[in-house]
Amino acid sequence: MLQIENLHAGYGKVEVLHGISVAVPKGKVVTLIGSNGAGKTTTMRAISGMIKPVSGNISLNGKNITGMTSSRIARSGLAHSPEGRRVFATLSVTDNLLLGAFPRLTYGRERGDVQGDLERVFELFPRLRERKSQLAGTLSGGEQQMLAMGRALMLNPDVLLLDEPSMGLAPLLVSEVFRIVSELKGRGITMLLVEQFAAAALNVADYGYVLENGRISCHGPADQLKNDPAVKAAYLGAAH
Amino acid sequence: MEILAQLVVSGIALGMIYGLIAFGYQLTFATSGTLNFGQGEALMLGALVGLTLVGHMSYWLMIPLVIVFGALQGIFVERVGVLPALKTKSEFGWIMTTISLAIIFKNVAENIWGHDDITFPSPLPTAPLQFFGIRVLPMEILVVVGALAIILAVELFNRKSIYGKAVVATSSDRDAAGLMGINTGMVITFSYALSSMTAAFAGVLIAPLTLTGATMGVVLGLKAFSVAIIGGLNSGMGVIVGGLILGIAETTTGYYISTGYKDVPGLLLLLLVLSIKPAGMFGKSVIKKV
Ligand SMILES: Nc1ncnc2c1ncn2[C@@H]1O[C@H](COP(=O)(O)OP(=O)(O)OP(=O)(O)O)[C@@H](O)[C@H]1O
Ligand SMILES: [Mg+2]
Repeated sequence: MLQIENLHAGYGKVEVLHGISVAVPKGKVVTLIGSNGAGKTTTMRAISGMIKPVSGNISLNGKNITGMTSSRIARSGLAHSPEGRRVFATLSVTDNLLLGAFPRLTYGRERGDVQGDLERVFELFPRLRERKSQLAGTLSGGEQQMLAMGRALMLNPDVLLLDEPSMGLAPLLVSEVFRIVSELKGRGITMLLVEQFAAAALNVADYGYVLENGRISCHGPADQLKNDPAVKAAYLGAAH
Repeated sequence: MEILAQLVVSGIALGMIYGLIAFGYQLTFATSGTLNFGQGEALMLGALVGLTLVGHMSYWLMIPLVIVFGALQGIFVERVGVLPALKTKSEFGWIMTTISLAIIFKNVAENIWGHDDITFPSPLPTAPLQFFGIRVLPMEILVVVGALAIILAVELFNRKSIYGKAVVATSSDRDAAGLMGINTGMVITFSYALSSMTAAFAGVLIAPLTLTGATMGVVLGLKAFSVAIIGGLNSGMGVIVGGLILGIAETTTGYYISTGYKDVPGLLLLLLVLSIKPAGMFGKSVIKKV
């Protein structure tokens, strides 16, 4: 489904990713673990076209999407809920969600039942329905995170990238976010998940990759990584 | 009192034109963080192309053609002047390129239409109407109605249509808008088209009230720029209020003090606003987004 091979990417002259390979098979949840600054967000950005890869290959459904603009990649069926939420502050909740379906309302992507999908997002996040006319900029942090996830779902994507959906949330909301991720998994949505809570991420994921200073240091089935002594010591310590 | 009322009414039409050009500045600033400093020349070109066209057709038929011309001229400015600067991430390159293009447009216009100011035939009766002793030119009413109509049309488009929402999204967060599948480069080109289109339209609205000529845009563009700063580069309706304040300040100063000083109040107001509230009287945040 989503295949990344030998990806090199960075900002300006600074290379952050030094040739990483990641595979996200159809219907599976794959998680990317790593400490702050390891390059997780950079990986997500390179996949969705927010930054141009220096070299390497990224393919979606067998179609080469390397170096395409983010808008074309989105129209090819990849949704990215970016780090820091990035909701459209001056637009209402409903408008934010509709923009998530922009390619389906305009051109390029199979239309389907956008109104029905809007309903389903509201069912998944009842808080959003209560606040559907409110401006996104006035939502609480947790509500904005739900909006960012809901907006990405509105594309009806083939692959969903979630970058730290629990960032800055209270503990109760963090478990709510993981409940939603597993619900989405139950619906068969293919996901690449980056999370600060590595243990919880490995619980919901099928497969995991560990990113260290822009390189994959190890990868394997989630159950196996969970019990790997090195991974345990570095990422699943008492803090989590 | 009657004289003051008359001056206010006369200031309104001029103020609406300032507001309309300033609105054009806002349109491109919102999506791209850049401005077309040749906005006054876009107005001038619109007026002169309109002048040539009215030799062959009615004023009303000419308007849609001038609007199309304005849109194409805006696309040209964006493609030739702004896009290369944005691509190379040259922070201020677009300032130089849009100013240079403005000078070129002025020179081209001088060569085509000459150096002299030309009268633009009025499509409406030139005899003023009387309301409670205040004289209003039919053309002044058309200016106000036309300016309001185009601003409302743009606002309606932004609020109601999915394409308009895509424009607002691009203004709010360009990278995130790209993730929605919105071609943000096209949105910026579109905003330049819309911006020059409003200026060209303003040109054919104001032309029958003033004179047309290659230099008509210079002062208008500059004053509208101060209106955009006064009203706030990111507040939709602020420019209309700012435009009206400036227009009325000019007609009243011209009468009570001296026409020689009629450009002074606008500049004083600009200095005042910049020192007290740099984001503009109605501005929501700082001018430069970081
Ligand atoms: N916009 C940028 N410009 C320049 N360098 C950047 C930019 N964004 C990130 N970097 C650098 O790239 C490296 C990797 O950052 P990245 O955001 O990918 O890390 P991360 O794994 O997502 O970390 P975190 O867990 O803190 O989110 C860091 O050294 C960071 O300083
Ligand atoms: Mg990150």
